[in-house]
Amino acid sequence: MTSTHDDHVGGERSSPPAVELIGITKHFGQIVACDRVNLTLRRGQIHGVLGENGAGKSTLMKVLIGLVLPDAGEVRLHGRTVQITDPVNASAHGIAMVHQHFSLVEALTVWENVALGDVGRLDHRHIRRRVGEISEHYGLHINPDDRIADLPAGMRQRVEIIKCLRRDPEVLVFDEPTSVLSPSESEFLFAALRRVVTEGGKAVALVSHKLPEILSVTDEVTIMRDGRVVQSGSTGGTHASALAKAMVGRSVVLRREHAAFGVIETDGDQPVPEVAAPRRPAATEPALRLIDLSAIGRDGRVLLGGLTLDVYPGEIVGVAGVEDNGQRTLGDVLSSLANIESGQVLVNGVEVATGKAGAMAKAGIAVIPEDRHDSGCVLDFTVAENLFIADPDRVSRRGLINMATMRAKATQLIEQFSINCTGPNAPMWSLSGGNQQRVVMARELSHSPKVLVAAQPTHGLDVGAIEYMSDQLRNAAVAGVGVLLISTELEEILDLSDRIVVIYNGRIIGEMPKSEVDIARLGLLMGGATSDATTTIGGSGD
Amino acid sequence: MSNFFSALGDIFTNESLYRNAIIATVVLLFAASGEVVAEKAGTINISLEAMMLAGAYAAAVGQGRAGVWGGLGMAAIAGLVVAGVQANMSHRLSADQFVVGLVLNVLVLGIVGFLVGSNEPASHIVERTKVPVLAEVPLIGPALFDQPWVLYLVYPLVPAIWFLVYRTRWGLEVRAIGEDPNASDVSGLSVNKLRRQTIYLTGMVAGVGGGYFLYARSGRFEDSLIGGRGYIAIAAVIFGGWTLKGTVAGCVAFGLVGSLVLTIPSLGYQAIDPAFLAMAPNVVTIVAMTMFAKRVRQPAALARPFIRGLK
Repeated sequence: MTSTHDDHVGGERSSPPAVELIGITKHFGQIVACDRVNLTLRRGQIHGVLGENGAGKSTLMKVLIGLVLPDAGEVRLHGRTVQITDPVNASAHGIAMVHQHFSLVEALTVWENVALGDVGRLDHRHIRRRVGEISEHYGLHINPDDRIADLPAGMRQRVEIIKCLRRDPEVLVFDEPTSVLSPSESEFLFAALRRVVTEGGKAVALVSHKLPEILSVTDEVTIMRDGRVVQSGSTGGTHASALAKAMVGRSVVLRREHAAFGVIETDGDQPVPEVAAPRRPAATEPALRLIDLSAIGRDGRVLLGGLTLDVYPGEIVGVAGVEDNGQRTLGDVLSSLANIESGQVLVNGVEVATGKAGAMAKAGIAVIPEDRHDSGCVLDFTVAENLFIADPDRVSRRGLINMATMRAKATQLIEQFSINCTGPNAPMWSLSGGNQQRVVMARELSHSPKVLVAAQPTHGLDVGAIEYMSDQLRNAAVAGVGVLLISTELEEILDLSDRIVVIYNGRIIGEMPKSEVDIARLGLLMGGATSDATTTIGGSGD
Repeated sequence: MSNFFSALGDIFTNESLYRNAIIATVVLLFAASGEVVAEKAGTINISLEAMMLAGAYAAAVGQGRAGVWGGLGMAAIAGLVVAGVQANMSHRLSADQFVVGLVLNVLVLGIVGFLVGSNEPASHIVERTKVPVLAEVPLIGPALFDQPWVLYLVYPLVPAIWFLVYRTRWGLEVRAIGEDPNASDVSGLSVNKLRRQTIYLTGMVAGVGGGYFLYARSGRFEDSLIGGRGYIAIAAVIFGGWTLKGTVAGCVAFGLVGSLVLTIPSLGYQAIDPAFLAMAPNVVTIVAMTMFAKRVRQPAALARPFIRGLK
């Protein structure tokens, strides 16, 4: 699919914009996903599309790449009105999307993935060479013969981008591109993105709900809320809190952003400002004791290597660490989803059987799981069913569920946790991510737990929902629950925790109270290096 | 003890052991080489048995009117008809592929049983054609190259399937949809259409395989002719770890065991009950599958229907 766009290059400023979306409207049933939305993408510019989950930005982009047909509105490319009927058609018009969840087949190699979706004879030499050319040109170095399954997230995204660029699109859409990337990988991505825009003369739309990202990378920004454009203009003339306000429609306390900037600018000598932090009560007995937990994966990999940790009632303990250092297993053990080789789990001094279904929940450990779709809720059940699925006894007698009681109690919880849905009978999938997370939260907290384990509780949520979740965790701690916060987002840990521990290779290798946070040392610990002689880590670095 | 070894020597130097083994292997190869493509695309094509049986019956009927080539053509069409039902039920209407497959197996057996009763098919055996020179190799020479000529069709078929799967764009797309249909969809592949195509291919090849078996083995059509070989072919694919090479090895292994079952009693060794021996292929299948099933990685989306928007 060679496009013939070369004649457009040069003298671009005066010619019509690459993409104009005019008055796009899309209904899903009674919900208006997009309401007369206008969006203009220009060549050589990165255009940020900012909005909370459910603001309509994904739907808008799906209209652009042909996955959704709009009810009303017009799509113009270079001033000409076109009908985009499906992704293949969009690709023919020079529009390509780098997806949030990668569109790569893991069992295939890089070049095979790049070739997918093309037509004509399969010429592997030609494709390999083309991959080489593109990666050279944009600095996206990659070996075309590597298998995707062996590559880390950042490299996979490079493949994804190369796959798009190979068809030489004029318009590139990035949907939450940094959600799976480390900070350095994100930085690299944006540098490459800048090259794609300036050297390739592409128009780029960057969908995101991360404010710092939008501020530092984009030329123009459009903010959506409830399916409408609430603000649009040049990024240069705006700042974080103004964007956030436009995005959620009210002022949010940008603690997280402050914390984030604090980390970057002050290099740790200034502690993060305390915001209504609960004081650690003088409890003598930990709510949760983990003693020397060890777990080995089916492939023989050490998942937990002697993890020891106490959580006292009324405190939030943040487990910081780079992804894949045992966080998931720790969460699984505390949800009775994983077996351990050795070690003990004690709740209020009483040992709990590990690996026995439901034992942890019964002992008073509530869990907000890492993947809410996978293990947090059942999408095809109603909100009410999801609220009582873990403990149906509370709404049933002699094994029969009392529907009226369930609805009444569910309605009560929906109000208490301000869950935005059409009622207790709304199917779970009809809720936005933030509201699904509220349902999980409501279910877990309504058991009056002794311990609350929150694994990546704000992953994929927008600013408003993050604020809500943070408040809930704080309130739980104030109410005397021992909160264990497992997160790979350092800002979140710094913002919420009373005490921070660092997990590395399945062990806790360092600990510091919030008042003594030393960012430099924290960073070192997360990288597996000890900053002082008193802490030792297993395995010598080579 | 020396008796035992002399018996072994007897059996394994017997030319008909290898001849029968090849005949049995080749019918599995026809079926399994199609099946491996369907499975790579994500379908466990249980109706393989029905495709083979329909092919065998069509070959019996077709030979009388259009000769052996015509019979094989009709066998391919008969297999394709069964495949059409399987493919469109499971990859257009998203019906459960196992249920559809099992129903087809029972249905085709019933239809064929009914039709055989009404018109008596005659003998359809195709005479042997000797390939010069190659057939002179001791033991395996005659087994491989002094057979009914329809058997030789499998020799170009297997490399052709390999080329199709590993060297063409279609093959790349087939491998992709069996691993990650969602990613393939996003990349612009028509997942269910491709899956239907792999089943059509399987149907045609398996139908020809059924026809071959009729012509090469007994020459007489009965509804028990295929007798579970479709399932054994599926087992051969699993045994082979979803690779074509492994599948061929699986077919040879199962074919050899099947042939031993025939050869041992025919040489007069009665130490093992023939009825007990007849179970051997199935026992070997189960043992092989439990041994290999865990060790190999199946296509990630195997046996999962693809519906847009569902994970």
